[in-house]
Amino acid sequence: MAEREPVIGIDLGTTNSVVATLQGAAPAVIKSRSGSTLTPSIVALTKTGKTLVGEIAKRQAVTNPESTVYSAKRLIGRKFSAKQTQQAVKNLSYRVETGDHDDIRIRLGDKTLSLPEVSAMVLRELKLDAEAFFGKPVRKAVITVPAYFNDGQRQATKDAGRIAGLEVLRILNEPTAAALAYGFGKNVNGKIAVFDLGGGTFDISVLEVGSGVFDVIATGGDTYLGGEDFDGRVIDWLAADFQKEHSIDLKADRMALQRLKQAAEKAKIELSTARETQLNLPFICTPAGGGGALHLQKTLTREKLEELCADLVARTVTICEQVFAEARVKTIDLKEMILVGGMTRMPRVQDAVKEYFRRDPCRGVHPDEVVALGAAVQADALTNEESDVVLLDVTPQSLGVAIAGGYVRTLIQKNTTVPTSFTEVFNTSRDNQTTVKIMVLQGESDLAHKNELLGEFILTGLRQAKRGEVEVDVTFEINSEGIVSVSARDRETGQQQSIQVTASGGLTEDELKRILDEQADLMLEAKVEEEVKTKQTELKALMKEVTELMPQLTEATRGDEFGQDALRKANKALEVARPAAERGDLVKVTESIDTLTRTISLFKGVLQRIGR
Amino acid sequence: MSMDEKVDLDPERKQEILDLEQKLGNNNLFEFLGVSNGASAEDVRTAFRELSRKFHPDRYFGKQLGSFKVRLDKIFKKLVEANQTLTDDVRRAAYLEANPFVRAAIRNAGAAQAPPIAAAPKTEDEKQHDEERRARLARHPYLLKTNKLQEFVSRAKDAIAKKEFSQAFTHLNQASQADPNNVEVKNLLAEVRKQNDIQRSEGSFKHGVEALARGDDNLALQAFKSAANGGHVLGAFKAASMLDAANGDPREIKTLAQKAVDGEPKNVEYRLLLARSLEAAGMKAMAKKHFEEAARLEPDNPEVKKHVKKRWPF
Repeated sequence: MAEREPVIGIDLGTTNSVVATLQGAAPAVIKSRSGSTLTPSIVALTKTGKTLVGEIAKRQAVTNPESTVYSAKRLIGRKFSAKQTQQAVKNLSYRVETGDHDDIRIRLGDKTLSLPEVSAMVLRELKLDAEAFFGKPVRKAVITVPAYFNDGQRQATKDAGRIAGLEVLRILNEPTAAALAYGFGKNVNGKIAVFDLGGGTFDISVLEVGSGVFDVIATGGDTYLGGEDFDGRVIDWLAADFQKEHSIDLKADRMALQRLKQAAEKAKIELSTARETQLNLPFICTPAGGGGALHLQKTLTREKLEELCADLVARTVTICEQVFAEARVKTIDLKEMILVGGMTRMPRVQDAVKEYFRRDPCRGVHPDEVVALGAAVQADALTNEESDVVLLDVTPQSLGVAIAGGYVRTLIQKNTTVPTSFTEVFNTSRDNQTTVKIMVLQGESDLAHKNELLGEFILTGLRQAKRGEVEVDVTFEINSEGIVSVSARDRETGQQQSIQVTASGGLTEDELKRILDEQADLMLEAKVEEEVKTKQTELKALMKEVTELMPQLTEATRGDEFGQDALRKANKALEVARPAAERGDLVKVTESIDTLTRTISLFKGVLQRIGR
Repeated sequence: MSMDEKVDLDPERKQEILDLEQKLGNNNLFEFLGVSNGASAEDVRTAFRELSRKFHPDRYFGKQLGSFKVRLDKIFKKLVEANQTLTDDVRRAAYLEANPFVRAAIRNAGAAQAPPIAAAPKTEDEKQHDEERRARLARHPYLLKTNKLQEFVSRAKDAIAKKEFSQAFTHLNQASQADPNNVEVKNLLAEVRKQNDIQRSEGSFKHGVEALARGDDNLALQAFKSAANGGHVLGAFKAASMLDAANGDPREIKTLAQKAVDGEPKNVEYRLLLARSLEAAGMKAMAKKHFEEAARLEPDNPEVKKHVKKRWPF
C-alpha cells in the first residue's frame, strides 16, 4: 500500500494553538520546532520589518505593543460596526480599522491586514512545524472552531487555512473534537458532556457516543466568554485603582496596557494553585506633569479574583442549564463530563462545574491538547478507509430569513444534524418584479435586527409576470462544517436563478483571490531568489577555475599571439562576471556563466594543442 | 444503468443507496427509517445512528461518487429530517396530524399484533351493571376517559404478567390514545417493547437451534440473525460464527460479532471472532485493538497466544 499523505489537526486558539496527527493508533501532539506543544497565537511585525509568529512574537510584545497582534480569533469573521468588536477594540494595544465592507482590518506597519491573513500566519507556522516533523510537505488539515461560531466566523477561518496554503478538509467544532479524542479507540457507550472554557470562547456540548458514532444532541455557548474576559476584569480592577490614586488612565498607554495584560494573565494562572499573588509593575508610567516614574504594586487574592469574575462563571452555568433543557438530558444521566480549555484549571470554575453536574470531571484528558488531538482523529477519519468513526454534528444556531415587520421566520432549527437543507418558496409581490431580496439571519431572537445578518441574497433575472405568479424555490443548505449556502430555482421553468451576496463581513471572493495571488507571487519570488543563489555559486566556482588556470596558460603561451588573445578575452569576461556574481541579476549571471564556460573550454583546448 | 457507473463504491452499497433512494418519496418516515410504525423516539434515534454509518456523506469523503453523491446527500438529508421530526414531541404530533395514513398505519400495527380479545359472556346482573355504569359515565366525560384508561392499563398489566406482550401492546396503544401524556402508559409501553423484543429474539434463537438440529443451516442462520437484531447476544455470536465458517462477508460478520461483544464485553471467544473478522475486512488497527483486549482478558487462551505471537513475534 502506498504511504498515505500526512494529515494534521489544528486547534487554532484565541491565545494558543496546537497541531496534532494520528500516530499509529493514537493521536499525538506535534511539538514546535522550538520544542513546545503550545504555539501562542500571536503575530508581530518588528521595527526592522521582520514578521514574527508564536513564542518569539509573544516575548517582544511589551516592547512592541502597537505591532503585536493577539486574540485575532475574537475578531475573525466579525463586522467592524458590531457592538462586540467595538468593545474588544478598547482593550487591544494594536490598531483596528474598518475595511471596505464593514470588515475588520489590522494595521501592521504600513500595511493593513484582514483577520484571515493574520490567522494564516499562525497556521503557516504550525504547518511548518508539522512539515519539520514529517520531513515532507503537509497540505491537508482539519481546523477547529468554537461550536458557537456562526457562518461568517467559520468562513473566515476556512479562508485563513487557504491563505496558509492548506487544504481545509473540515472545519470542526471544538467540543466535538474533544469528545472524539476522548472516545477514540475506547468502547464508550452513553451520554457525555464537554465543557470548554478557552481563551476567548465558551462552549458546552452534549453528545451520545456508541460504537464509533458520535452524535451531538445539543450545543450552546458564547463566543465572547473566555480567559481574556477574566484577564480583562483584573486589568480593569488594576487600572481603576491606579486611576483613583494617580488620576492616570493606564489603559490609554499602549505599552502600559500590554504590561497590565501580561501581568493579569500571569496572576490569574498563579491563583489556580496559590491563594494570593503579587503584581509588580515598576515604572509603569511617567506622569505628564513631570516628576518621578510611577510603579504599580498590588496583591491579588484568589477570593478577590473570584469576586471580580463571579458573573462570568455564573454565565457558563446558565448556558449549561439552557443546553441541557434543550437536549432534554439530565446531568445525572451523563456517563462522563470532560473539561477542556485552560480556564477550566481555575478552582472556582471547577467548583461551579462540579456543583452543577454533581460529579467529578473526567481525569486524564489534557485540557490544552485534547481539541487538537480530536481534530487529528477527524482528519484521519475523513482520509482513512479503515476508520470506524462517524460524526453527527449539529448547527449551533437557528437559520432564518427576515420577514415583513422586522421578524424572523426560522427555517432550520438549531441543534439540527448537519448536513441539512431546507427549501422555501418565495413569490414576487409586484407585477413584473425581476429581483427578490432575501436577508439570511442566524440566531435565536424573533426580531430580525437582534440576529446576525449572514448576508443579503438578491435573486436576479426573474421572468416578468404578474405578481405572485413567479415562484422561486430557495434552498438553504448547511454543510458538515456549519457553513451556509443558498441556491434558487424557478419553480415553473426549473431554471437556476443567480444569487448575489452582499453585506457579508468576510473576505469577498476577489479579495481572497488577490491575497492568494500575492502568496503565489511571494512563493515565486522565493523560488527565483533560490535559483539566483545557485547560479551565483556556480559562477563563482567558474571564476575561481579560470583564475587558477590563468598563470598556467600565461606560462604555456608566452610569446604566442593566439594565447595572448585568449588571455585578454578571459580577463575581460572575469571583469564582467565579478559584479554580476555580487549583485545577483539572473540574466547577467547566466550570461557570465556561459562566457566563462566557453573561456575554460578554450583554455583547455589551447593547453592540449601545446601538448601539456 | 446506475449500477454500472464506475464509482468508488462496492456493488452492495450501491444497491443499498439505490434502494433507499426509491423510498425517498415515501411520506411514512417510520418506514423510511426502517422502524416499526409508531416506534419510540429512542428507537428512531438508534435507527438513525445505524443508518448514518452507511449513508453519512463523510463516510465517502474524497471518493469518486459520480451520480451517487447527489443520491447520498438526498438520502442523508431525509434521514436527518425523519430523525428530527420523530424524536421531537411537538413535531412528531404535528407530523402525525398532517399524515392520517401514518396514524392509520400505527393503529394497524397495534391491531395486527393482537386480535381483539373476545369478551367473556356476561351474566344478566353484570349486563345490568354495565348498562348503569355506561349511562353514568356517558354523563361524565372525564371519568369516562379515566376509567377507560384504567381499564386498558389493567388489561395490559394482566397481559404483561402472562408474558403476552403483543396483547399488552395493543391495550397500551389504546390507553395512550385516551391520554397521550400519561406517564405510566409511556413507561409501560417502553417496558413492553423491550420485553417483546427479548421474547421475540429468544423465540428466533430457539427456532435457530431447532433448524440447526434439523440440519437446515440456511434457516438457522436467518433465525440467529433476527435474534441478533432483537439484541440476542448468543444469537449474534452464532450467526457470526456460522457466517465465519461459511467464509461469509467479513463486514457482516464484524457487525454481528460487534453486537455479541457489546453484549458481553468480557467474552474472549466473541472478541476473537470480532478481531478475526475485522482483520479479514481489512481493518487492521481495530483488529489489533481487539486481539490485545482478548489477550488482556485471557492471556493463556491458546488462540489468543497464537494470534498475538503471529502478529508480534518479540
